[in-house]
Amino acid sequence: MFRKILIANRGEIAVRLLRGCRELGIHTVGVFSEVDRNALHVRLADEAYPIGPAASRESYLRIDRLVDVARKTGCDALHPGYGFLAENPALPRACAARGISFIGPPAEAMENMGSKTAGKQLARRADVPTVPGTDDPIENPEEVQALARRMGYPVLLKAVSGGGGKGMRIVPNDAAFAGAWRDASSEALNAFGDPRVFLEKYLVGSRHIEIQVFADTHGRVVSLGERECSVQRRYQKVMEEAPSPVMTPELRRKMGEAAVRLARAGGYVNAGTVEFLVDANLNFYFLEVNTRLQVEHPVTEQVTGFDLVKLQIAIAAGHRLPFTWETITPRGHAMELRLYAEDPDNNFFPSPGKILSRHAPTGPGIRLDEGVYEGYIVPMEYDPLLSKLIAWGNRREETISRLRRALEEYTITGIRTNVSLFRRLLTEPEFLRGEIHTKWLDELLARPRPPATPPRPGTEEAAVIAAALWHIDRANGSSKRNAEPPQAPSQWKMQGRREQLDRLP
Amino acid sequence: MKFEVHLNGADGAKKHTVELEPTPAGYRIALDGQEIDANAALVAPSTVSILIGGQSFEVHVTPEFDDHIKLQSGPHEFTAELRDPRAWKGRRHGTLEAEGRQQIVAPMPGKVIRLLVNAGDEVEVAQGLVIVEAMKMQNEIRSPKKGKVERLHVKEGQAVNAGEVLCVVG
Repeated sequence: MFRKILIANRGEIAVRLLRGCRELGIHTVGVFSEVDRNALHVRLADEAYPIGPAASRESYLRIDRLVDVARKTGCDALHPGYGFLAENPALPRACAARGISFIGPPAEAMENMGSKTAGKQLARRADVPTVPGTDDPIENPEEVQALARRMGYPVLLKAVSGGGGKGMRIVPNDAAFAGAWRDASSEALNAFGDPRVFLEKYLVGSRHIEIQVFADTHGRVVSLGERECSVQRRYQKVMEEAPSPVMTPELRRKMGEAAVRLARAGGYVNAGTVEFLVDANLNFYFLEVNTRLQVEHPVTEQVTGFDLVKLQIAIAAGHRLPFTWETITPRGHAMELRLYAEDPDNNFFPSPGKILSRHAPTGPGIRLDEGVYEGYIVPMEYDPLLSKLIAWGNRREETISRLRRALEEYTITGIRTNVSLFRRLLTEPEFLRGEIHTKWLDELLARPRPPATPPRPGTEEAAVIAAALWHIDRANGSSKRNAEPPQAPSQWKMQGRREQLDRLP
Repeated sequence: MKFEVHLNGADGAKKHTVELEPTPAGYRIALDGQEIDANAALVAPSTVSILIGGQSFEVHVTPEFDDHIKLQSGPHEFTAELRDPRAWKGRRHGTLEAEGRQQIVAPMPGKVIRLLVNAGDEVEVAQGLVIVEAMKMQNEIRSPKKGKVERLHVKEGQAVNAGEVLCVVG
């Protein structure tokens, strides 16, 4: 097993990885950009080193600096998390050149499967159904437009190296083509440094269902079942669940087998996700492979009982997968909400800033994976994901009621969050019936909002009293606080305690 | 201490007076001139727990601009302006209605990637004006009113700071 792992990421996923390492007794090394000095992952890591300015290109995307930190601190492995360099084959290559194990697939497998077009070609060879479209990126917009006319609108333009909806546009008709092409390729260039775009037929009303696969270095490939990710806002997943409300044992077996076939064909190792579109008749079409741990991995962890991060580390260390596909029986129902620092009342504008106060929900069936704390300043430079609120219950209804309860407890002030979106979503009859598709949320948000439930009698009075009490406290408190700075704890005492608490060898 | 609280909630604006007199057990509270059975405690720096006739409420307070504060109680949100009548400074006028000439400012730092209108164009309420890319997302800045684009202050590709004027709609 590894002794020390470099966590080449930030935010909630860096914290999640650190936690997995700590449970395995592995030392951790964090990295941070100039604006991330106070981030939670820096506080929780055993060691942490600066890697450059705020811009990702000069810090979290600098392979040379990451590998340099890993080498200098004596790390024997590196975990990329998701985003940033997680799907860039240059990182596993750079690691291999320095004798550092990369916790993820080999560079060749990323190339075979990672790009959307390469993945489709592989799927054809592995006899996995694909969405009609172009196999290769096309440089010439006129050529693509001609093809779109032949195929029939609506069509979808997608960035070859894309993800998270960036560089993706639905083109409803021929007139919208030129603008959509320009937006998609410029967004792709900005986000991924690669302006190439390809074309796909757009399947109206389909679901996004993905299969989590794991492959070890000894040739065993297994599926850990599906995640339903159809609730999306502008192609960004907003909430995920497992099992899918439409899943049948038969469909799960067929999709699982297709995903495993594809992973084998691509020489895949470690955790990967095979994404499919599923139409109303439960036909499934291969979409793409994500050659990394997914944001929504906790949903699978909750229903399978496996710790996917620890499995990833074990596989990278050469261990065998400790189970077979037949032995996995998903238990209960899990759901994840992605809580973002964005303002749902103002077109979901990012809302970075200082978290003034925060109360995190706990209690039965609730898990919160996050990288924030009270007093933390959410930087404007990165993806504004704050926390992932995950609930588990015996049935879908119980999971939903737990999420509703948890959202009632959850408060965060100082920044705007999309919590109100979920409060609404979790009461929508269509959602409760599981009747969702990838455009469902966008359509819902375009409809007029239902009238808000009136506050319980007394709420307004309580608000008025709170305003007055808060004002009195601030008037008294600020002068008092200035007069008497709190006593700083002795660093000698703190260091002594820290050493005693450090259980790791 | 006596305060005038101008509260804005889902069902409009209301004015209340509230009086808090310290007692050994907390505060004696009068609302709109009438003493009520209420107990208020600051349980965390910006969190107030309130029992009104045994009904439990929790309110989170966030300071906003000037003397305005935001009050959150579960899913319900209010904004309030708090005035100490002894420090009366005269009535401020609300600036939230989109009337008259509107300066459209960048809500956060980013880069202008596309202009959707030209100077002189007539625009509708909520029509897109400019696309600003920030935090790797493209965000459409919309017009707060129906009117005419008087001036565009930015070019495509230009970096903007929060608060920088993008255009003027008259």
